[in-house]
Parts: sequence; structure tokens; C-alpha cells
Amino acid sequence: MSNNAKSPLKVALHAMDERSVRTMVMYLKGPCQGAAVVVDEASAEVDIFDGDNINAKRLLTEHLAKPSSRPVIVLSLQSIRLDNVVLVKKPVKSEDMLGALAEVKARLAQQKINNPPVSVDTSLTDLPADKPVLKNYTINTDEQNKTSKHQTAMQLNEAAFGTYIGNVQGVDVNDPAQFANATYAPKDYFQGYIQSAINTCQDKNENLQLHSGWRQLVLFPQSHEIWLDADDKELRAFASLKLEHAPSKKMSLSPFKTESLALTNALEKFHSMDAFVWKLACWTSKGRYPDSINIDHPVYLKNWPNFSRLLITPHAMRIAALLVQEPRTLGDVARLLNIKPQYVFVFVSAAHALGLVGQARREADELVQAPDFKPLQKQGLLGRIISKLRGNKA
Amino acid sequence: MSQYKIIFTGPVGAGKTTAINSISDSPPIKTDAAASDMTKSRKAATTVAMDYGIMNLSGGEKIHLYGTPGQERFDFMWEILVNGGIGLILLLDNTRADPFQDMKFFLEAFDKFIGETGVAIGVTQMDISTTPTIDDYHVQLKTLGIKPPVFAVDARVKNDVSVLVQSLLFSLDPGLEEEA
Repeated sequence: MSNNAKSPLKVALHAMDERSVRTMVMYLKGPCQGAAVVVDEASAEVDIFDGDNINAKRLLTEHLAKPSSRPVIVLSLQSIRLDNVVLVKKPVKSEDMLGALAEVKARLAQQKINNPPVSVDTSLTDLPADKPVLKNYTINTDEQNKTSKHQTAMQLNEAAFGTYIGNVQGVDVNDPAQFANATYAPKDYFQGYIQSAINTCQDKNENLQLHSGWRQLVLFPQSHEIWLDADDKELRAFASLKLEHAPSKKMSLSPFKTESLALTNALEKFHSMDAFVWKLACWTSKGRYPDSINIDHPVYLKNWPNFSRLLITPHAMRIAALLVQEPRTLGDVARLLNIKPQYVFVFVSAAHALGLVGQARREADELVQAPDFKPLQKQGLLGRIISKLRGNKA
Repeated sequence: MSQYKIIFTGPVGAGKTTAINSISDSPPIKTDAAASDMTKSRKAATTVAMDYGIMNLSGGEKIHLYGTPGQERFDFMWEILVNGGIGLILLLDNTRADPFQDMKFFLEAFDKFIGETGVAIGVTQMDISTTPTIDDYHVQLKTLGIKPPVFAVDARVKNDVSVLVQSLLFSLDPGLEEEA
């Protein structure tokens, strides 16, 4: 038993309902090692208030106005400053709580000698009111009906990669000796045209229609959306076509008036710009990497992609976790994770298309490539959680 | 046997109860009560103690899913709750007046726990309020010097919550593989 528990402070709780009183009783007994016990108000030496309760301001004012000499502890998010009141800032830490209890215990000892009345500081009336928590917004039912835009992620496993993403002919992208040939030029494909069109519409901050000789496509820079009159299957097929020699190579942009087409009748054809470019890059890459990436230099990820709204290629989250921590070469990522390079290449292609990938350009940067990471001891357990979450195990 | 747990936190109405419900194998034990104070404007019932759910793993292990009470006045429980936790899921409500302030508050409140484990952030209600965007959150996080996963999440959708929790686990160890 601790010294505190031998002579616990007697505290009364205020501005707390029954449930929080029960929790507080357990908290004082457990983490606070019995330094205080909850008693009725008449027997208490100290009063503890929840300063964030809606009635706290009134109750505290009334309490402090009473001719009581008992110390008061206030638990609050706010920086309340009152005479003879000890503030414990939320979230309450045991160390802080024990410090506050020790402080009031010392005050009580002092009060046995000198027992002045508690005075109310004028700042009490200036306690900040609760900030409004509601934002002013209008519920846009159209937004909620843009089902493609808010669609949850599709998580591909290795078995589905070839079917859904595809493979390139004539080069084994997983053979390190052929890495130099495992590149592609986004500008030769629809991906490049889309990225260029996005840059233009964002620069102009204007809705633009892309005339590609294919399906109608409209870009909305302000809402960061793309409207396409085609489904994923059609887009996937078009994405893989090399357009440099095709008659449709010449594409143009023109201003788009929202009222010129009833797009609102096909809200499901709206896509998030990022999710659209991401999957387009996956289907264009087919396991290759963009030719602007130097295979010998480490790459890094500026931040995590918004995976819950993207096509998640095999091992994409593992690759992201690694590259967001440290720069590494693509080959090193594949080696460390023990995965086929095509999975690294396709992820980097998609992340690069969104501008999330950076590459060390200086020779010196190669020297600081991160060492191998240290696996956690709980790796087996965490792996089983992953399996469970992916629905592989009951 | 050790007790493994994942902690879900965030402001009132961010979807903690729903998220736990989405991935729990058993109906979560809820401790909601009629909201009678400031939380009333956000939802009719709010969590006054904690939510609890469970994931049963192959091999008989159990992962306990704990949700912190949304009302900040109960947050003296947080310190107890995180003890021995695997990591933190922070859910933020994009319709609140200042979700960045919420984010900073919770990241600061759980600073020690996050430093010892990790955090993944889910932003809910993005189909109702599209701003701030996920990129905006990353900009804010950059000033705090951390790069956690930040995803748009519908707490009702199991896959959204699953992807968010997976990202937390991969953040802890990118070498993780699915266990056979």
C-alpha cells in the first residue's frame, strides 16, 4: 500500500453523472493508487469538478461563492485560472492528478494554520463558452449519389493481378536483368493526356471537356472530379492502347458549360480525380514503372495515398509503409518485402501519377538509403489480424 | 495470455461505435445514453463509458476493440484504456467546425501512446462535407512532423474500416504478411 493510500484524501465529485462518478472512483483507486477516495459532500476535504460539464460554470460559481475553505480541483480542457482552484488539464494523466492531489493536501495542511475564505476571481465569468461544433454546410444529395466517387477500395491479391491489371508482352519485368526495359512512357498513353488535361484545367481553374475521339470526358478542377461516359472495363482496355501512332493522338480541350449536358442524370459516372488517375496508371503500367524514374536511385513517398478510395494492388500498403518511412530503390523494396518487382512498379506508377513519389536525384542521396527494417516481435499476431481483416480467416 | 487491443478515438459523432461494429465479430457492448448536454446537437445518443468489440483470430486469440467515450469530460479513462494497446485509430468528423483542431487535440492527447505504437486517421462524413480534403489533412500533419495514413472512411463500411486498420498494422511493420 502506498503512503497516499494510508491516508487518502476525501473528495466530493461535482458536475458528473452517475457513470462518470463510478469511473472516477475506479480511477482514483487504480491508477491513482488510492491517493483519494470519493465520499459524500459533507465529509469531503476536497471538491473535484468536471469543468467541461454544461452546468460546470454555474455549479462552480455557486460553490466558490460559499464560505468554504476546501480546495477545489477542476478537470477541464480549458485553461481555467481561479483562486484556490487547481486545474488538471484533460486528458487527465495519473501523474498530473497525483500532483494536484498532493498540492491540495499541502494546502489543507496550511489551512489548519490559516483558513482564509475562498474568493471568486473575476475571470470566472469569462470562462470561454463552448465553441460551436457544427460547420455551416449544405447537405448535397448529389454528392452522396456519386457512388463511384465514394466507392470503397478494391483490394487485389496476387492471383487477381494478371486478370485485372494485365501483363506486358516481350519483357519479364520481374527479372532484374531486364529492369531497364521494364519502363513505360505515360505520355504515350491515355494516362499522359489525362494528366496533361488535369494540369491545364487546374491552371485555368475551369471545367474542360477532353476531345479524344473516344468517350466524352469532362474535368472539374474545383470539385476535383472527372466525369467519363464509360465503365471501368472500357477504360481499362483504352488505357493499355499506345496512342502515339493512333489517329486519335490529337486531343483537344474546350471549355465545358455545366448546363450544356445533363451530367446530373449520370452521377455514378463522376470519379474522384485521384482515384481515376490512380487506376488509369495501374492499367497503363501493367507492372512496369514510369520512364522518369531512375531504377538505381531511391524513391520516397511524400504521404500515404488515400487507399480507402483507390484500387489497392497487391502489397501496395506494405510498399507505402516502407517508402513513407525511408527512401529506397524499387529493387530494394521488392527484395525487403520478398515480393515480385511488378507489384512495386505498379504501385510506384500510380503514386507517381498523383505526384506522391519523389526521387533522390543527387549521388549523395544514394548513400543514405535506409538499412533493412527490423521486424516486430508481434509479427505473427499482426499478420493474423491482417488475414482476419481481409476475410481469409473466420 | 496477453490482452491485445486496438483503440478507436475521436470526437463525438465521428463514428467510433459504428467502426467497431463494422469489424467486430460480436455485437459491440455499447454504453450509449441519451445525450443531455453539448453532444445533443451532434447525435441523440452518445457513448458515456466505452465501446467494446472483439475480433476472433485463428488460433483462438482475441483482439479487443475499445472505443473511447466521445465526450471529452470522460477522458480520464484514456490513460487506462491505451495500456498495452497495439495502436490507435483516430476518427475525425469532416462536418465539425474545426476538424484540424480535433486532430491536433487527439494527437497531442495520445502523443506518448502514438510514439510507442502508431496511428491511422480516418476522416468520416466526407460525402456530406467534402472539405477539408485528405490533402489538406496531410498539409496540417506535415507541420506536426508526422506522416500517418489518412483515409476517407465511411464507418458503416467494413472494408473502409478494415483498410484503415490494415494501414495501421503495416505502419508498425511493413514486413507483415498474411498468416496462413
